[in-house]
Amino acid sequence: MRPGPGGCCCRRPVRANGCVANGEVRNGYVRSSAAVAAAAAGQIHHVTQNGGLYKRPFNEAFEETPMLVAVLTYVGYGVLTLFGYLRDFLRHWRIEKCHHATERKEQQDFVSLYQDFENFYTRNLYMRIRDNWNRPICSVPGARVDIMERQSHDYNWSFKYTGNIIKGVINMGSYNYLGFARNTGSCQEAAAKVLEEYGVGVCSTRQEIGNLDKHEELEKLVASFLGVEAAMAYGMGFATNSMNIPALVGKGCLILSDELNHASLVLGARLSGATIRIFKHNNMQSLEKLLKDAIVYGQPRTRRPWKKILILVEGIYSMEGSIVRLPEVIALKKKYKAYLYLDEAHSIGALGPRGRGVVDYFGLDPEDVDVMMGTFTKSFGASGGYIGGKKELIDYLRTHSHSAVYATSLSPPVVEQIVTSMKCIMGQDGTTLGKECIQQLAENTKYFRRRLKEMGFIIYGNEDSPVVPLMLYMPAKIGAFGREMLKRNIGVVVVGFPATPIIESRARFCLSAAHTKEILDTALKEIDEVGDLLQLKYSRHRLVPLLDRPFDETTYEETED
Amino acid sequence: MNVGVAHSEVNPNTQVMNSWGIWLAYIILVRLLHVVLLSIPFFSILVVWTLTNVIHNLAMYVFLHTVKGTPFETPNQGKPRLLTHWEQMDYGLQFTSSCKFLSISPIVLYLLASFYTKYAAHFLINTASLLSVLLPKLPQFHGVRLFGINKY
Repeated sequence: MRPGPGGCCCRRPVRANGCVANGEVRNGYVRSSAAVAAAAAGQIHHVTQNGGLYKRPFNEAFEETPMLVAVLTYVGYGVLTLFGYLRDFLRHWRIEKCHHATERKEQQDFVSLYQDFENFYTRNLYMRIRDNWNRPICSVPGARVDIMERQSHDYNWSFKYTGNIIKGVINMGSYNYLGFARNTGSCQEAAAKVLEEYGVGVCSTRQEIGNLDKHEELEKLVASFLGVEAAMAYGMGFATNSMNIPALVGKGCLILSDELNHASLVLGARLSGATIRIFKHNNMQSLEKLLKDAIVYGQPRTRRPWKKILILVEGIYSMEGSIVRLPEVIALKKKYKAYLYLDEAHSIGALGPRGRGVVDYFGLDPEDVDVMMGTFTKSFGASGGYIGGKKELIDYLRTHSHSAVYATSLSPPVVEQIVTSMKCIMGQDGTTLGKECIQQLAENTKYFRRRLKEMGFIIYGNEDSPVVPLMLYMPAKIGAFGREMLKRNIGVVVVGFPATPIIESRARFCLSAAHTKEILDTALKEIDEVGDLLQLKYSRHRLVPLLDRPFDETTYEETED
Repeated sequence: MNVGVAHSEVNPNTQVMNSWGIWLAYIILVRLLHVVLLSIPFFSILVVWTLTNVIHNLAMYVFLHTVKGTPFETPNQGKPRLLTHWEQMDYGLQFTSSCKFLSISPIVLYLLASFYTKYAAHFLINTASLLSVLLPKLPQFHGVRLFGINKY
């Protein structure tokens, strides 16, 4: 094992709890190092309050599925599969009307054009509850949104619009963390002015004539926002990942990617041609084992050392609501001399006391993260992505990135929206609106999560993450939850298999600074009602509701039994 | 609802049999089948146990060793399209715990059926159906299609 360069976390092994294993004070009392080693070997602690790498408590919970619920979920999928086979049989023998694409009679003797079994799931499960997704809207998706009402008379194979518009639906599905998804206000006025001045599109790549002064202004602003030397902005968030990872690593390099990374990271990793190894979600022991094996054994057959080792993690994982254990990842990266690529698509603007993302949230140094990537889609109300890092890295990407060479650059009004919203968050526009939004989001997150846990739902993820997955488990409840919530004027996103593991279907709420407490209270009341109706309150660790009144003498009397 | 959007698991079919929840659901379903068969009045105990064994093995053969591919589109250009579910489990890794569980359960059912049929009645039927469901599980039979049946 190569010795690390200095720094206390490199000379001594980093434990799972992030504490330095030097045998000194731990949990408030002194232990000998032998006892510490024995205890740590047998258990995995998540004690984070006693200094070490974490400056604040890290509370993440993924409660286990109750046994009865798991069995019923599998039985539910089994019944749906059997009915699917029955319906396919009826459709094949023309007893039931066939709505999906089939070949013409003349083509039936040739090799089949449509692979029937691959669409089994879409035909028989997705179609039944298809009205919960892709709902057309007709207003800006802020805290409230207007949805067009639609009906289906042939079980969701086709939709008809009744002409009604459901107004003022509470929007818990849009990624609008700081509330910038508006069509009025200072961002909109600035973007309109720039639209008249610069036009709508750029129609050229960054390297040809698509580099405007607005892009350079944006990149300087992003660099100062993140605290890095330089930054580069791209037109699409997905393309930022998938086109830049191949520019950074290639054959002979190793990518260590989290289990639940987004499709853009997975695609970028596959396009690069590097070897990909996957570690368990947010599991630092798994990551350390992979790093050790990579350095000790090298490349598979030749045993040569890897050219580069790149760790791919995300700031907030949007399906689970979990936050990456960044202090431990950075400690491991420094110890084993790997590079870190942090995808802050959901966490930029949403975490941290100043809204600078997950690095700010943990109070770490942005220089420790080699490549800081993020998107402008979620918190800034715009589109596009950025990569920030050292100046040499960004200069290299300006010449070698596929997006810079082939893709058009960001459109000027979008750039102006990002610049205005970023200045607002940083407080540079002279108001305290940014700071208020960040605080409002943090309060909303804590309140919403606490109330849902008190009601008895199973909620995954970290306490501070504004993405709140509520577990539904059974396939029928996916459709039921979505429809019942829409009846009560709340729009939610529900997700099921195969986008999630087979038993872990969920409803995912995305909180926003634009949600006021009244909106959240209304939503919580309806969720409570629907939870009772559909029996969704599976949690076995009910939180005692916090006392909202001040502490006085009578408080003791209640707890005397 | 697409595969591979929120996780890097290319083929979720490989992980379906790995949780204890599905093992429990499977055991409960077999018991349910047995109880339903027991409640039919004109079957004797011998016939009921043989029928449980045969129907269970038939269903297992159809779902694990006949149906090929995945019911959803996977982002790996259809590599598992010609593989049965058994061959897809854990990406072809042999002797995992779910493999062992699914190999042992027809044997347990066979032993129970043999006991209740007093090791004499319906011996050939029970043994033949056990063999039909155990042979495809052997690692030597991975990807083997006898006489070209079920090849494409």
